[in-house]
Amino acid sequence: MQGVSQARPAAALPLTFGAPARPRGLWRDIWRHLAHNPVALAGMGILAVLLLAAILAPVIAPYDPTAQILAQRNAPPSSEHIMGLDALGRDVFSRVLYGARISLFVGFFTVGSAALVGTLVGAVAAYAAGAIDNILMRLMDIMLAFPSLLLAIAVVAILGPGLTNALYAIAFVSIPVYARIVRASILSIKEQDYVLAARAVGVPSARILFRTILPNALTPLIVQATLGIASAILDAAALGFIGLGARMPTPEWGLMLAQHRNLVFTAPHTVFFPGLAIMLTVLAFNLLGDGLRDALDPRLRR
Amino acid sequence: MIRYIAQRLLMLIPVLLGISLVTFAMLRLIPGDPCRVMLGERATAEMCADFNRRMGLDEPIYVQYIRYLGNILRGDLGTSIKTGQPVVRELAERLPVTFELTIVATFLAVSFGITAGILAAVRHRSFIDLATMVVANIGVSMPVFWLGLVLMFVFAFKLKWLPPSGRSTVGVELEPLPAAWGISGPGPLVSLLEFLSGFRLLGALLTGNLRAFWDAAQHLILPSIALATIPMALIARMTRSSLLDVLGQDYVRTAYAKGLLRRAVLWRHSMKNALLPIVTTIGIEVGYLLGGAFLTETVFSLPGVGRLVVDRILARDYPVVQGAVLVIACLFVFINLMVDLTYAWIDPRIHYD
Repeated sequence: MQGVSQARPAAALPLTFGAPARPRGLWRDIWRHLAHNPVALAGMGILAVLLLAAILAPVIAPYDPTAQILAQRNAPPSSEHIMGLDALGRDVFSRVLYGARISLFVGFFTVGSAALVGTLVGAVAAYAAGAIDNILMRLMDIMLAFPSLLLAIAVVAILGPGLTNALYAIAFVSIPVYARIVRASILSIKEQDYVLAARAVGVPSARILFRTILPNALTPLIVQATLGIASAILDAAALGFIGLGARMPTPEWGLMLAQHRNLVFTAPHTVFFPGLAIMLTVLAFNLLGDGLRDALDPRLRR
Repeated sequence: MIRYIAQRLLMLIPVLLGISLVTFAMLRLIPGDPCRVMLGERATAEMCADFNRRMGLDEPIYVQYIRYLGNILRGDLGTSIKTGQPVVRELAERLPVTFELTIVATFLAVSFGITAGILAAVRHRSFIDLATMVVANIGVSMPVFWLGLVLMFVFAFKLKWLPPSGRSTVGVELEPLPAAWGISGPGPLVSLLEFLSGFRLLGALLTGNLRAFWDAAQHLILPSIALATIPMALIARMTRSSLLDVLGQDYVRTAYAKGLLRRAVLWRHSMKNALLPIVTTIGIEVGYLLGGAFLTETVFSLPGVGRLVVDRILARDYPVVQGAVLVIACLFVFINLMVDLTYAWIDPRIHYD
């Protein structure tokens, strides 16, 4: 996404209509709106803390996330172990911290790859039109005909359980959403005067697509991607929880919940904290996504 | 309207074919030899040859697909590798559990979601509005499985108001419908009644067994609240924003200016116009509910399709997984059809193009 905000290399392109007039406008605009939106700011705040926790996990974590203190299994929160110990005597706080790495990676990786493939599919469909458009979009329709979690489960059934396969599955089922958004935006932008002008002066199609059309189709994509990260994290945790995602001893939040769900009455802290972590992470992306939508969609501004 | 319905039905055909292609492909896309994957590494060449013949895997791929389609149309989804039972029977035993949960949760999500949304919109910028939106934002981000465990901890363990898991208390018997009504023998009617008996609420009600009804209802409360939370939150948000849009329109002001009652303006002029996006949200959320039911079943130890699918994926019992995915996807398509038709019914201007 950074590529868009960079100024175009003016020297290399003496006369093109290839870039929008104000290449930096979008990001500054977004920031101006977000700065006045307390809800979005709260989301960004939580997110900043989570990112720091994920990056600095090895520094902050008081214990090794897989080290066991067998004598103190299921010990409740104390001053030494602020979130207590789990069923195998591992420090819950350290595991939750390391779990942030996994969940954030899951979110960024799945949405990043799904958005990339989806953009390609949508762009090709919109540009090629006709039969190719029809085939691609009908394929997307078929994927959307499944409830997303069910399709992800089906993909995991084919690939086999595991965190990596769960990632592929979630990325795969998110493709159609992005393909549709990009296709719709391109179709509406394609006929705009500035695109027609670029075509008239002989700018190559590929350059028009990447330099003119895609940057303008980006706003709905950003909003969807932010909200998409939230649901990707939720889905990955869900797959981990039902036993089709991460495997032991990975400190994945959904798996942590699954391993301790039978202890919810006797050692509630083992279940409470990983779930709270999932909720806060998802909440942060949802708040930020809603804030971005308000900032980017002029129709919703009020 | 009839034209619209016909066109919409016609559009179903490619989608349903697509779904069947996906479930058909599932078995063929497994990395490695499906026989070895399902029967285990020690399967002999003869066992595999026999297996491939039984599953029809020894024929050209298009013959396999046509046969697969033909079988589906005859209601034959194959045989479970693990239990040797017809897949249809395994699903028929489990589907009512999932459906019952989904239906009750949908009802909760829609009724409470719309009510909260209307309250928030009518009392815009009030405390109710703020509270609804804060709860809705948190609700949207709540993992079903965690919320389920938290509810269990609070209401079953701490307060002891409700049972923690399962479908019924040991000792509370519920006679299946065919037995209760003295209908016996094989036949479609008995099969249907047996299927319906799987819906414990319905079965208890039809046999007048109030004790079993109350017991089943108590067991359903926590799972359905857990499952309903996210859709409820989304429906509340959508209702609020959609209604706020409409309430700001000129014709609403005109209606008030004419001296119409607040109630009349709200229900007859505003809600009707605000309904379309709400119905869309509900349609999308039913798909979510079906997926979420899979998770809720795990949390509350309910013997539904979700649990079945996950167990059989781990046991590599593909025919059951394929069958379940096919049935749930078809159901989802059917629900989307209903949503589209509701659309056309609410707004007569909508037509297919």
